[in-house]
Amino acid sequence: MSLAMSDLTLALPELFLAGAAMLLLMLGVFRKEDSARVVLVLALLVLTVTLVLAYGVTPKTGRATSFGGLFLVDDFTRFAKVLVLVATAFTLAISRTWMEKEEIARFEYPVLVLFATLGMLMMISANDLMALYLGLETQSLALYVMAAYHRDNARSTESGLKYFVLGALASGLLLYGASLVYGFVGATNFETIAKALASHHAPQGLIIGLAFLVAGLAFKVAAVPFHMWTPDVYEGAPTPVTAFFAIGPKIAAFALLVRVLTGPFGPMVEAWQQLVVFLAAASMIVGAFAAIGQTNIKRLMAYSSIGHAGYALVGLAVGNREGISGLLLYLAIYLAMNLGTFGIILAMRVKGRAVEGISDLAGLARTSPMMALMLAVFMFSMAGIPPLAGFFGKLYVFLAAVNAGHIILALIGVLSSAVAAYYYLRIVKVMYFDEPAEALDRPIGPTLAVVLAGSLVFIVFFFLVPSPLVGGAEHAASVLFH
Amino acid sequence: MDALLHEYFPILIFLGIAVAISVIAVAASWIVASQHPDREKDSPYECGFEAFGDARGKFDVRFYLVSILFIIFDLEVAFLFPWAVSLGKIGLFGFWSMMLFLGVLTIGFIYEWRKGALEWE
Amino acid sequence: MMMVLAVFLPLIGAAVAGFFGRFLGDKGAQFVTCAAMGLSAVLAIPVFVDVALQHHAQTVTLFTWIDSGDLMVKWALKFDTLTAVMVLTVSLVSFMVHVYSVGYMHHDPSIPRFMAYLSLFTFFMLMLVTSDNLVQLFFGWEGVGVASYLLIGFWYERPSANAAAIKAFLVNRVGDFGFALGIFGVYVLFGTVHLDTIFAAAAGKANATLLFLGWELPAMTTLCLLLFIGAMGKSAQLGLHTWLPDAMEGPTPVSALIHAATMVTAGVFMVARLSPLFEQSETALMVVTIVGATTALFAATVGCVQNDIKRVIAYSTCSQLGYMFFACGVSAYSAGIFHLMTHAFFKALLFLGAGSVIHAMSDEQDIRRMGGIWKHVKVTWILMWIGNLALAGVPFFAGYFSKDLILEAAYGANSLVGQYSFWVGSLVAFLTAFYSWRLLILTFHGKPRADDHVMAHVHESPPVMIVPLIVLAIGAIFSGAVAYEMFVGHDREAFWGTAILVLKAHDSVEAAHHVPQWVKLLPVVAAVAGIVMAYIFYMLATGLPKAMATAFRPFYLFFLNKWYFDELYDFLFVRPAFWLGRGLWKGGDGAVIDGCGPDGIAAITRDVARRFGRMQTGFVYHYAFAMIVGAAVFVTWYMFNRVG
Repeated sequence: MSLAMSDLTLALPELFLAGAAMLLLMLGVFRKEDSARVVLVLALLVLTVTLVLAYGVTPKTGRATSFGGLFLVDDFTRFAKVLVLVATAFTLAISRTWMEKEEIARFEYPVLVLFATLGMLMMISANDLMALYLGLETQSLALYVMAAYHRDNARSTESGLKYFVLGALASGLLLYGASLVYGFVGATNFETIAKALASHHAPQGLIIGLAFLVAGLAFKVAAVPFHMWTPDVYEGAPTPVTAFFAIGPKIAAFALLVRVLTGPFGPMVEAWQQLVVFLAAASMIVGAFAAIGQTNIKRLMAYSSIGHAGYALVGLAVGNREGISGLLLYLAIYLAMNLGTFGIILAMRVKGRAVEGISDLAGLARTSPMMALMLAVFMFSMAGIPPLAGFFGKLYVFLAAVNAGHIILALIGVLSSAVAAYYYLRIVKVMYFDEPAEALDRPIGPTLAVVLAGSLVFIVFFFLVPSPLVGGAEHAASVLFH
Repeated sequence: MDALLHEYFPILIFLGIAVAISVIAVAASWIVASQHPDREKDSPYECGFEAFGDARGKFDVRFYLVSILFIIFDLEVAFLFPWAVSLGKIGLFGFWSMMLFLGVLTIGFIYEWRKGALEWE
Repeated sequence: MMMVLAVFLPLIGAAVAGFFGRFLGDKGAQFVTCAAMGLSAVLAIPVFVDVALQHHAQTVTLFTWIDSGDLMVKWALKFDTLTAVMVLTVSLVSFMVHVYSVGYMHHDPSIPRFMAYLSLFTFFMLMLVTSDNLVQLFFGWEGVGVASYLLIGFWYERPSANAAAIKAFLVNRVGDFGFALGIFGVYVLFGTVHLDTIFAAAAGKANATLLFLGWELPAMTTLCLLLFIGAMGKSAQLGLHTWLPDAMEGPTPVSALIHAATMVTAGVFMVARLSPLFEQSETALMVVTIVGATTALFAATVGCVQNDIKRVIAYSTCSQLGYMFFACGVSAYSAGIFHLMTHAFFKALLFLGAGSVIHAMSDEQDIRRMGGIWKHVKVTWILMWIGNLALAGVPFFAGYFSKDLILEAAYGANSLVGQYSFWVGSLVAFLTAFYSWRLLILTFHGKPRADDHVMAHVHESPPVMIVPLIVLAIGAIFSGAVAYEMFVGHDREAFWGTAILVLKAHDSVEAAHHVPQWVKLLPVVAAVAGIVMAYIFYMLATGLPKAMATAFRPFYLFFLNKWYFDELYDFLFVRPAFWLGRGLWKGGDGAVIDGCGPDGIAAITRDVARRFGRMQTGFVYHYAFAMIVGAAVFVTWYMFNRVG
C-alpha cells in the first residue's frame, strides 16, 4: 500500500489546517508576550487559506476519494466546507474583543477552534463509518474543552462537563449503531454499504443500527429529544464559544447527517424518513414553545437553534434533491442570522461587564438605535418575515416539503414559526417600547461592526440576488443524487 | 449475511462461558464458605490503621493530570507494539506514518512540558 | 441622459438629505437638495427646447419592471411636448420652492427631513409626468400621494396636521380606487398598459363594450369616467375636494408646491395625457366639463367668505382647477395645460407671498387681524399684487391669456355644456377678482387690525425668500404672453405634435379664435367689476359686507360652511364607519375573535411553554435519560413498524 500524490492533494485543506494548527500551538507556547493576539490573527489567516484551498480543491470528475476510500471530496463537501470555514472564521474574529475584556484571551482558544474545524472538515469529507467517528471525535474533544474554557467560572465548567458526559453518551450510541451496521453489512465504507443495501433486503438489526446512528448524530445537531444539553451548554459557555457552537459545528453535523442518510442509507430512505420527520417536528415544536419565557438571551438562542435545526431537518425529511438544497440554503442563511445576532450579544456589555438578560436590551432603540435596528432585522429574519433572508430559507424547505407531499410537516413548520415569532418579536418589543435600561457600552469595535454590517446586508438584500447561493445549494445537493 | 453472523458465534459462546464461570465462582464462595461478619471485618482495610475520614476524599487535581498524561503515552506504546511487529510488511509508508504520529504526539508533549503540566511544584 | 438626470436628480437629493441629513447638517441638506433640484431645473430647459421646440419627442427606456405573462411594463421616460412643459414647470417651481424653504423653514428643527420630502415629492411628480405606461403613471401618482401625506403631516406633533394628512390620504384613496379600476379596465380592453399602443388602438375601440356582471357598458365612457374619478381625487374636484383646504396644515412652501403648482394639477395632466381616450367618449367629456365648471363656481363662492389667508388661496386653487377641467372637457386640452402652466407660476407666487406675510405677521393667518402692513413689506405687497392681477385675469398678465382662452373655447365649443361652463366661468371670473382683492385689501390696506406688538415686528422677509418670489412673479407676468402663440395660437399644432389628440369636430381652440368680440371682453369686464366691488366693500363702505352677510344669512352660512360638504360626509361616511368600526372592534374582534383566538391560543402557548421549561431540570442524568428514552423509542418504533 502506498500513497499516491493525488490522494494527498484532495485532503490539502485538512492537511494544511492540521499542520498550521500544530505550528500555532508551538508558536503560542514558546512566545512570551501577546501570544493570544498573534495566534488569533494567524489562525484567521490559516482559516482563510484553508477556505481558499477547500474552495479550490476540485476533483476533475466532480467526485474523488482518497486514503483508500475513507475520504471523499465532491461539490457537496466543498459547499459545506466553505460554509463551515466562513462561519468559523467570523465567529473567531468577533471573539477577540470579548475574550480580552473578560481577561480570558489565551492562545489556546484559536488553536482549539482550528482543531475543531479540522474535525468538522473531516466529518464533512467522511466516506466511511470510521472516518466519520474520527472526525466527529476530533471536533467534539475540542468543543468539550472550549465549553469549559472559562475554567474559573462555575457555569462554564459545568457546561463543559455536561457537554462532555452527554457527548460521550451520544458517541456511545453512535458507535453502537455503527457496530450494528458493520455487523449486518460487513462493511464500513459508505459506498459498499449503499451497494449492499441496494441489492439486499435490509435486515431488522441494520435498521436498529441506523436508529442508533441517527440518535448519535441528532445529538450533534441538537434535535429533540437529543437536545437537552443545548440550553445549559449555550448559556454556560463563554459567549464567543456559544456563537461558535451555534453555527459551525451545527452545519458540519448537518452535512454529516445528510451524507450518511442519503449516501450509505440512501436505499433505505423510507426507513429513516420516519425518524427524521419525527425529529424535525419535535424540534420545531419544542424550539418554538420552550423559548417562550426565557430571560437569558443565550438560552433563548439555544432554543432558537433547536427550532432552526427542526426547520432544516424538514428539508432532510423530504429526502429528495429539492429538500436537501433547501436545507443547505437554510444553513447558509442561518449562518448569517446567527452570526449577526451573536455579534450583538457579544456587544452587550454594561460598564465593562458582560450581560445576557433580555431585559438588558430594554429601550436599546433609544440608547443605541443602530444596534437595535440591526438586532430587530435579525429577529425579523429569524421569525421568517419577508423579504428578509430568513423568510426564503423557510420558504424553500417548506416548499420542498409541500411538493413532496409532506403537508402535515410543512403545516407544523408554519405554525411553529408563528409561535416562534412571538419570542423573536418580544425582543424587538423590549428594545423599542420598554423603558431604557442602562445603556450598553460603546463603541463595539471595528471587527464586530464590519461583521454585523455584513450580516445585515446579506439578510436584507439576499432577495435581490439570491441566485448564486440558491444555485450553489442546488448544485451541491444534486451531486448526492446521481 | 448469515455467514457473517456465524463468525460471531464463537464470541457468543465465549461470552456465555465467561458469565457462567464468574457466576459459579461468586455463588460457590457464598455457598461454601462460612460467614461471620463483625465491625472490624466490614471496615475498609487501611494498613492496620484505624479507618479515618471518608474514602471518597478529594485528591489534588494533579493526580488526575498525571494519570491522564500517562494514559496518552501508555496508549502510544500499545500502538507501537503491533507496528513494530509488522514493520517489515508495511514498509517505508508504515514507518513514516508512525513517525508522523509520533511527531504529533511530540508536539503535544512539548506543549504540556512548556505549560508546566509535568512539574509538581 | 439629460432627461434621465433631470428626473432622477431630485431622488438623489432626497436620498442624500434623507439618509445622511444627520451628517450633512441643516445647511448641507439644504445645499444638496437645492443643488440637485436646481440642476434638474436647468436641465429641463434644454430638454424643453429639444423636445417641444425642435419636436424631438422620444422615449427613454430604462429597464423592464414587470414581465409576467401578457403584462409587460417597462420603466421608461416618455418625453413629448406635454411632458416637457410639465417637467419644466414642475422643476422650475419646485426649485423656487426649495430655495424659498431655506429661508422659510430656517427655525424648524428637522430641516433635512423637510428638504428630503420636498425633493422626493418632486421626483414622484416628474415620474408621473414622464411615464410611458399607466402602471408607471400610477406609481408616480401614488408616490406624490405619499409624499403629500408626509408633507401635510410634517408637523406631526399637531393633531390637526395629522388629521389633515389622513384626510388627504383617504380622500385620495377613493379617487385612486377609481383610477386603479380604470387601469384594470384599460388592460382588459387593450391588453396592454403602454400608452402609445393604447392611443393607437383607441379610435378602433370607440364603440367597444365591456361586460360587467351582465351589464353591457360602453367601454370608452366607463373607462374614462373611472380614470376621471382618479383625476377628481388628486385635483380636488367637487365631491373629492374636501382634503385640499385642510391640507393647508402643512408648511406654506408645501402648499405652494403641492397644493397649487404641481400635485393637484396631476389630474388635469392625466386627462390631457389620455386625450385620445377621452376624445372617443362624448359622455365622459360632458361629465368632465360639468364637474369642472361646477367646482369652479363652488370653490369661488366659498373662497369669498373664508378668513384664513391660505384657505382663500386654497379655494382659489380648487376653483382654477375647475377651469382647467372644463377646458379639457370642451376638448381645449392645450388651453387647460396652458392655464396649468401660468397658474403654477402665479399660484405658487401667491402661496409663497402669503407665506411671507404670515412670516411677517408672526404666524398670524387670519386676514381679519391683518391690514395696513403694505408700508412695512413693500416688496411682498407688490409681488402679491402681481400674483392677484394674474389670477384675476387682468389684461396682459399671464392669467389673462389662459383664462380668456378657456372661456372663449367653452363658448366656441358650441354645445349646451359649453354654454353652461362659459357662463359659470364668467361668473367665477367675477368672483375670483372679488375674493382676490378682498384678500389684498384686508391684508395690506386699510387700518392695521393687528395688535401693536405684532405690528412692531412686521418685517420684510430675507432675500432668500424674496428672490424666488421675484422669479415666479416674472413668470406670472410674462409666461402667458410668451407662450400664447405656441400653446394655443397659430403654432399650436406644430408645438403639441402628437402629444394631444383633438378630433377635428371638437377643435374648440380653433373656434375660440373666432368668437364674437363681446365674448372676448366679458371676462375682463367681469374681473374689473369684481375688483371694483371688492374696493367698495372693503375700502369705501366697510359696513356693507356685514350687512350683506346678515341680509343673505342662509347664503352666507352656506358658503362659509363650504356648502356643508364636510358635514355631509361626516354624516354619511365618517360616523357610520366609526360606528361600524367600534362595533366590530368591541363586539366582533374583542369578544369573539380575541376570546377564542389569540387570547385563548396565547394562554395555551404560555402553558405549554411552562411545561417545556420545567422539563429542562439541569441534571445530567435527566438529560441522559431523555436521550436513552429517545433512542429506545426509535428502536421500538422500528420493531413494530417494519419498513423497507
